[in-house]
Amino acid sequence: MTDTSQIESTARPPFAPWDRRDIPGSFSVDETARRVGNYKWTEMKLFEALGGWVATVPELDVKMRLGTHCYHHAWHADLWHKRLPELREMKPERLTVPANAAMERFIEAMTEPEAPELTIEKLVGVYRVLIPRFIAAYTYHRNNTSEITDAPTIRSINFILQDEFDDWRDGEMLLQSLITTPDHVRRAAEHQARLEAIMVEAGGITGPDSIGTAETTSTEGGA
Amino acid sequence: MRQFFPVEDLARDERFVQTNMAERMKDGRTAIDVEKQSSAKSRGATKRLTPERHDASDAARGLMHGIMVGEIQALEGAGRTAHDFAAGDGTNDTVPFELKLDMARQAWDEARHVEISAKLSDWMGTELGEFAENTVLFEAACSNDPILRLAGVNRALEGLAIDVFTQMKEFGDVAGDPFLEFCEDWMLADEVTHVKMGSDWLRKVTANDPDRRTKALEFQQVVDKLFSFGGARGESADSSFSLARRFRELAGFTDDEVETISAMDAEALEERKEAVRKYRERVGADA
Repeated sequence: MTDTSQIESTARPPFAPWDRRDIPGSFSVDETARRVGNYKWTEMKLFEALGGWVATVPELDVKMRLGTHCYHHAWHADLWHKRLPELREMKPERLTVPANAAMERFIEAMTEPEAPELTIEKLVGVYRVLIPRFIAAYTYHRNNTSEITDAPTIRSINFILQDEFDDWRDGEMLLQSLITTPDHVRRAAEHQARLEAIMVEAGGITGPDSIGTAETTSTEGGA
Repeated sequence: MRQFFPVEDLARDERFVQTNMAERMKDGRTAIDVEKQSSAKSRGATKRLTPERHDASDAARGLMHGIMVGEIQALEGAGRTAHDFAAGDGTNDTVPFELKLDMARQAWDEARHVEISAKLSDWMGTELGEFAENTVLFEAACSNDPILRLAGVNRALEGLAIDVFTQMKEFGDVAGDPFLEFCEDWMLADEVTHVKMGSDWLRKVTANDPDRRTKALEFQQVVDKLFSFGGARGESADSSFSLARRFRELAGFTDDEVETISAMDAEALEERKEAVRKYRERVGADA
């Protein structure tokens, strides 16, 4: 007969002491799907623009970076495309839309420069306006969604944010190497201001609530 | 930004000098022996790139520079196809979303190939822009029909890249250059993937449109012949490099398709010889 008192217990709590993940999150399934649709639309517009610009820039190092980053954003769009059906949206194209009309106008303005002498303007739009907005929106989403119910979105955001930070660093360094005269500074600043004004109107990648507001964001979050 | 981008607007820095296929082929300095009927067995006068050739160094450097500018144009072409067509069901100027993703992936691959070939060119002692850039590759990427682009670029051009990289890999091996062989082997793996992408999408998108498929395959044949560089690729000893049959099979070419390309290469070589013969007669008459 076995003496059960001698068997080492394997009973443990479901969450280890260091695992502080919790259920509450700010976004419902529908709201998450809406945001993911906006992410996908904007990532698509970005990878299309980067791909299209490759042929228009004479600087060989910039040309190669644009080609590389083009794929990064295509991969992000694919991750969101695959996430949408998991969020009950069986027709992903239905939610693959801009957050609002201003966001659509922003992309039109950002992709307007084509001439070979406008590399600074091209890079400013992507690396000083759009990608910082992506980093902000993704960070807000990651920090406010449920760490348990929405773990797949968090996992994708973490991979994507790594790319966004790396690409932003690449783009910013290219810009710093290209902006070498007061006229370059003026051009970069003017173009950034023009685009930033449209982006403010749009409110960010997912609209006015892209990074929350003082009213909607609490330290506890909402279930 | 325009939807379609013309070849004459390709952006380059001041080091690059561009030319086209017509200019290149009418160059009377061609080394083709127009009087001799060569075969694969007559190795005495081979045009194959081997370390024994007295001009092996310059020929290899020229070929590598050609590869590099070809990779730049392939990068530009893939980027444009990712940009130029909206996502849709493949009809009415649209392409499937996944096809756009493949083109973006190809753009990244081609960007790496530019990096690799720029480093190899430097390793071989070549400066950027030292040789003229033939823009024929991007021209094949300018069709308004995305399926023609896939046929012309992914199947014909990237198929040519398979042949050229196989040749350069062998050259690296024979010349005792493991750095060259290593790089070519990696690029070859990517090119097989790109050709397969083209083969797969061509079949999928035209599954219910046989006319469009026929038109695309005809365009591919035109480009294939153009890209044989007047017989520079082929089974003859007059050709600089041969068809990489095994890798083409891996990339989705049928045996019949490989035989067709081989026959076109031979035809292109004879046409080039004839053109050179006429050029020499004319120069002789003028002199």
